[in-house]
Amino acid sequence: MITEQGRVLEKLLSGQFICQISDEDAWRYIKNKANVDKLEPHLNLLNRTLCSSAEGEVFFAAYKTLGDAERKELAQQFQDTAANLMPLVEWLLLVQQANGADVPVSIGTALRLNELQSAIEDTPAFAEQLEKISRYRMFGSTSVSLDGQLKQVFKRLTDLGYLLKPNPDKQIFIATGKIEHLYEVLKFIDETESLSLTEQAESAVQQGRLI
Amino acid sequence: MNQNLHQAGVKLLNALSRHSDLIMQVYLSGQLDESRYSSKVIENLTQMGVLWRPEENVPLRLKSAVRTLLEGSLQDERNRQLDANIGAALDSLKTVAQHYKEALHFNRFAESQAYLSDLTEHVYALAEALANAVRVLFGRINNEFGYVSSVDAKIRENELAQKQVSELLNQIELFRFDELSELAGSNRELRQLLVVTLQQSFSRVTQELSVVQARLLALLGRFREFKGRTRLLKGFLLHMEQQPDFAPTDYTKLSQVPVMFNQAAALINAAAVDVNNVEHESELQQLVSSIRVIKRQNRHVDKPAVNIPVESQSHVELDDTQLRSAVEDYFCEVIDTGQRITALEYHQRHALEFDAEVWLYQVIGGYQGLTEEEQAYFAIEASGEPHPVYTGNYLIHDVELGLR
Repeated sequence: MITEQGRVLEKLLSGQFICQISDEDAWRYIKNKANVDKLEPHLNLLNRTLCSSAEGEVFFAAYKTLGDAERKELAQQFQDTAANLMPLVEWLLLVQQANGADVPVSIGTALRLNELQSAIEDTPAFAEQLEKISRYRMFGSTSVSLDGQLKQVFKRLTDLGYLLKPNPDKQIFIATGKIEHLYEVLKFIDETESLSLTEQAESAVQQGRLI
Repeated sequence: MNQNLHQAGVKLLNALSRHSDLIMQVYLSGQLDESRYSSKVIENLTQMGVLWRPEENVPLRLKSAVRTLLEGSLQDERNRQLDANIGAALDSLKTVAQHYKEALHFNRFAESQAYLSDLTEHVYALAEALANAVRVLFGRINNEFGYVSSVDAKIRENELAQKQVSELLNQIELFRFDELSELAGSNRELRQLLVVTLQQSFSRVTQELSVVQARLLALLGRFREFKGRTRLLKGFLLHMEQQPDFAPTDYTKLSQVPVMFNQAAALINAAAVDVNNVEHESELQQLVSSIRVIKRQNRHVDKPAVNIPVESQSHVELDDTQLRSAVEDYFCEVIDTGQRITALEYHQRHALEFDAEVWLYQVIGGYQGLTEEEQAYFAIEASGEPHPVYTGNYLIHDVELGLR
């Protein structure tokens, strides 16, 4: 039998994000400092180190030192991340609006596909938005039916690790810590490029009020 | 007088139970639908002070006392109001306590008993009001202000609750236990009520209120974060609308790559099957048995007729008689001499021209080709070693044959 240490190490080395939702045992294991000290030498051997994001909600393996090959890999990843930002942000807002609770999707949020689907079907604006989102290269849906588009979007998000489907027979998805990571990335871009996104949204809301 | 009060109370409660449907309808919808009930009933309830009309031309409403009773008993979370008027309650407590002491002083015992029960009622009412206030607050926190939908409204509700908590705390500060204990003096009943009961309730409430305050602050933080995130998402969308060509600079080119963009590539691939591992045998067999055989039926294609040349094929013959007879000779020699001779020794001695490996194979094959009875005469022993790399393989260097 593989030990918990081996299991966590394997997860990290296969490029997975570990959070409380995706694998609570592993997450608790890493939360213990003594266990991290045991993992770290193994990771270091392969030029990797344990990293956390979103205030310790998610863990993943990062490169320890960056050579040319590593930088190339990271640049490729960054391209993907940057290209995926827009579809993900639009999807997050769509889900938040269609859910009716006005609460942003965050780690542990449960999304019921059926409820979401009926909410989107009832509102043509949501349906249009979904169609637009599903056409992005990230989701790559060619379906003309709303049902197909929604399923494809959720399937892709599950494949990419943003969502988890705990029960294969039920269309209920749970957001993982990777969503938190996404918010971190957005915040970072906002700060680094000094976009002041929050202020933009605020002023737009106020202008809307004036009208 | 007392009998009258009792009868009036029973009458009121009976009326409440008789018209419970009506009362619940008013409670839930806020106002009375007068067309559904007879005017006599409505008239009756209005006279009893269950319903009242706040203004002309406005539907009838439930009196707040009845509403409070229902809210309290049903633990309805819509109940937002907290009765925090502890100062007034304390003042009335002190007054009644003084009445009681005065009555005792003048030995008017009957009167003093009435005052004492009145005071008991007041003290317990105050304690209950405090506990109730805390319970209402907790109820609202526990479902995270679920009765309003937008985050902004939740934040406002939270702020209201915080204000109520600080108001409650201010009111609780009005408890002056030194004054109360002075008032109680040496009277046992008064001490029990004014000092012990109130103090217990006081300490419980202050403790719980501090928890409430902490929870409210944490919740407010969460709501603010929700709001911040929504703004972040909306702002990003707006920004992309205004500058569709916006792309973040490639942070991986920086000398210090930010942690969140430093994500190592996947390293581990699935392991391969070890067919030699005995422990895995049953699993592997199951896997193999579950492999589906795919038979693609080749579609029959009509080919044009071709002349097939028919010739006699050249014969290939394998001649291993020499080798076999040499092995027989070897066996015979072993029988004749009765000594153990290894196959390779015999090979060298007779300068046989077969390849050594072929010779060994044939010897082993020759031995195994004998009948069991004949095999029993011979003892064959292979000398060799296990393969240095691949376990389970055995390398044979030579074979020794002898008589048993």
